[in-house]
Amino acid sequence: MIEIEGLTKCFGELTAVDNISLTVPKGEFFVILGPNAAGKTTTIKVMSGLMKATSGKVRICGIDTEANPLKARKRMAYVPDFPFLYDKLTPTEFFRFTGQLFGMEEAAIQREAGVLAERFSLGEFLAKSIEGLSHGTKQRVAIVSALMHAPEVFVLDEPMVGLDPHHARVLKDILRERADEGMTVFVSTHQLSVAEEMADRIGIMNHGKLAAVGSHEELQAANRDNKLESIFLSLTQDADG
Amino acid sequence: MDEPRPIPYWRLLAGVNRTQNWRRLKLAVSQSRLHAFLMGLFVVGYAWLAFVLFHKGLQFTSSFPGLGPVLIERMMFLLFAFLFLLLLLSNVIINFTNLFRNRETHFLLTLPVPHRVIYRWKIFESGILASWAFLFLIAPLVVAYGTTHDAPWHFYLVTPIFVALFVVLPGVLGSWAALGLARWLDRLAFQIAAMLVVVLVIVSISSWLQPETVTDEMLETRVLDVVDRLLARTRFSLFPYLPSFWVSSGLTLWVEGALMGTFFFGLVLLSHTLFFGYLAATKSGGLFFASLSAVNSRGSGGGWKFWRRGSGAGQALGQAAFQPKLLDRLAKWFWWGRADSRALIVKDIRTFWRDTTQWGQSLILLGLLVAYIMNLRYFSHRLTSDFWIDLTSYLNLGACALNLATLTTRFVFPQISLEGKRVWIVGMAPLGMRRVLLTKFLFSTAVSMTVTMILVATSCAMLSVSIDRIVYFTVTVGVMSFTLNALAVGLGAVYPNFREENPSKIVSGFGGTLCLVLSFLYIVGMVTLMAMTSRWAFGGSSTMAFWAGWVGFLGVSFLLGWLPLRAGIRRMATLEV
Repeated sequence: MIEIEGLTKCFGELTAVDNISLTVPKGEFFVILGPNAAGKTTTIKVMSGLMKATSGKVRICGIDTEANPLKARKRMAYVPDFPFLYDKLTPTEFFRFTGQLFGMEEAAIQREAGVLAERFSLGEFLAKSIEGLSHGTKQRVAIVSALMHAPEVFVLDEPMVGLDPHHARVLKDILRERADEGMTVFVSTHQLSVAEEMADRIGIMNHGKLAAVGSHEELQAANRDNKLESIFLSLTQDADG
Repeated sequence: MDEPRPIPYWRLLAGVNRTQNWRRLKLAVSQSRLHAFLMGLFVVGYAWLAFVLFHKGLQFTSSFPGLGPVLIERMMFLLFAFLFLLLLLSNVIINFTNLFRNRETHFLLTLPVPHRVIYRWKIFESGILASWAFLFLIAPLVVAYGTTHDAPWHFYLVTPIFVALFVVLPGVLGSWAALGLARWLDRLAFQIAAMLVVVLVIVSISSWLQPETVTDEMLETRVLDVVDRLLARTRFSLFPYLPSFWVSSGLTLWVEGALMGTFFFGLVLLSHTLFFGYLAATKSGGLFFASLSAVNSRGSGGGWKFWRRGSGAGQALGQAAFQPKLLDRLAKWFWWGRADSRALIVKDIRTFWRDTTQWGQSLILLGLLVAYIMNLRYFSHRLTSDFWIDLTSYLNLGACALNLATLTTRFVFPQISLEGKRVWIVGMAPLGMRRVLLTKFLFSTAVSMTVTMILVATSCAMLSVSIDRIVYFTVTVGVMSFTLNALAVGLGAVYPNFREENPSKIVSGFGGTLCLVLSFLYIVGMVTLMAMTSRWAFGGSSTMAFWAGWVGFLGVSFLLGWLPLRAGIRRMATLEV
């Protein structure tokens, strides 16, 4: 479960995230949309511990991320759009390393990583150096390492970038399955189709504020429009633009 | 059932980085055995040559009765005092990059690794990176000191322990300075502060090193007084609160057999290292995260500010962003140059200026050179014999050229590689890669030639050499600027590394090493040739020998510049990224 309460993040005189409050319950697949510089990545960076909030609170599974960052991070996983991987390691070594950081036993690492690697067709790459892998394959390695320890909250920034249609489908299926099992999924994307297809609820950010939150149907009803694209455009169109 | 004990984070981080570095090393050796051989040769060759020279130097100095031991002891105190300062500076720069510009740091922050562990790991890593080269450079001197004084075998065991404890202190202090700089200064404020500090240091050094007037009569009758006055400038190294004082005292006392004294200074050093090490290892994680958050917030703010839309203020900001800046306006003065080449130069200047790490290093190099040249004026008053004036003027030419070679290898060589993944932008543009290369060459040559010619002319004037010799040395270094820049740009294009974004890592590859070695050989060879065939120096040579020397110099300079540049142009024509 993610609870964001009055979150504000200022960069000097500019307010990148402006007093947003949001609760994403356990097991929900939440997609956040917004134009460039709407404040999505800043919100994610605060959630994942890369930045301090100017004011407000973020709680992961009831744990305040600023007061108890370690406890919060143990329960979550984060995959950025261009994830960092140790380029001279093999995927297997990388899985072992991240698994051990989360306190997993060797048997559990092998079991979980093995299942996920198979689903993401990583078998032939497991013994190869990460530096030689394509962007999409690296993305799959990062996703496996993040999912291995069964996080309760999974935050992804543009997860489909670089993935081929087959593996994008695999990722969607896994995220859906995990959400059904109780994992909270928080995805930031520009792909409206992902939101339409996958999201239990959608949030639309603009100028640091949450312009709208609701299920696809609720957004359609509130905006009297069937297409998410036109809802998105109408909500993010500048009044003076 | 008991839960298994988790593996300590420290061990995991050390393990994964050890594996990474070991594989990097193996790959580097297997990719280029010649490079590995050259590096190995350099390491062994330097250690041996430096030891021999230091040993002979120390023996010579110790042969002065009464004075020798005093000078050698003071040299040890100065060595560690300057080592402390250099390590501090190096630690500030490397910690800044490693703590705030490193992708591993950002990755670890999203994992359940405590901030204090990340900070501890990063300052450990930075400490090693910042210290190893300095320690390698001074090691032969310390060994030579031991052999000159017939130190017992355990001196060579105690010294590494003292030095290992010592390097922790600048490491910790440097990391705290980096935290402060990151938290409180943005890029512009830092650049202004750095410039002010460099100017202040140059002025201080220049006034500090003003010479004492020593007459022949004083040298005859009051030797001890003269020595005392000469050594007064170095008395700062005896300040008892400097960590370098504890190391130097400990080691010099050990050599003298005063083991209790060494034990005392060892304990002083150990207690300070433990105290500051403890504070850094356990209490600085919160400060680190606050600084990192400040850096990340500044980084995000810039882009956000630019693209902000929808309000009057935002639109005004957007319009202001497109207004030509000072550099764009300056570029228009060069109306006779092609617009695309000017755009490329403006882009290169901006990129360089905004990368504080790059910019800071060039500032340090130039600052040292300026301080050196400003002090030449005092040096020249001491030179009465023609031999020493000639020797100094050619050594001065060599020093300026070596400094230039360091700059061209460090900053010009990686230019093509730094285009990296962005090379398609300039590569696809109608100006073509050939002209990209030539523009980079002409621009770097114009800048470095202007700076070096001014510096050489000034240094010659400081040495009070005649006007014809000033012209001679200035033209010589001008030709050398052409060659060294062409060599750096050409080899940079022949041996590009598009994967790496860190210029210092690009330079440490085969191409960079080759560039540095060729540059140094060229300088040593040409300065020797010019000195041997000079009309004025060392007794003077015939007119024919003088012109033959010049023809040889111009020929070698042209070939060493033109051949790599041509190879670089050809490589660019067939470049596949």
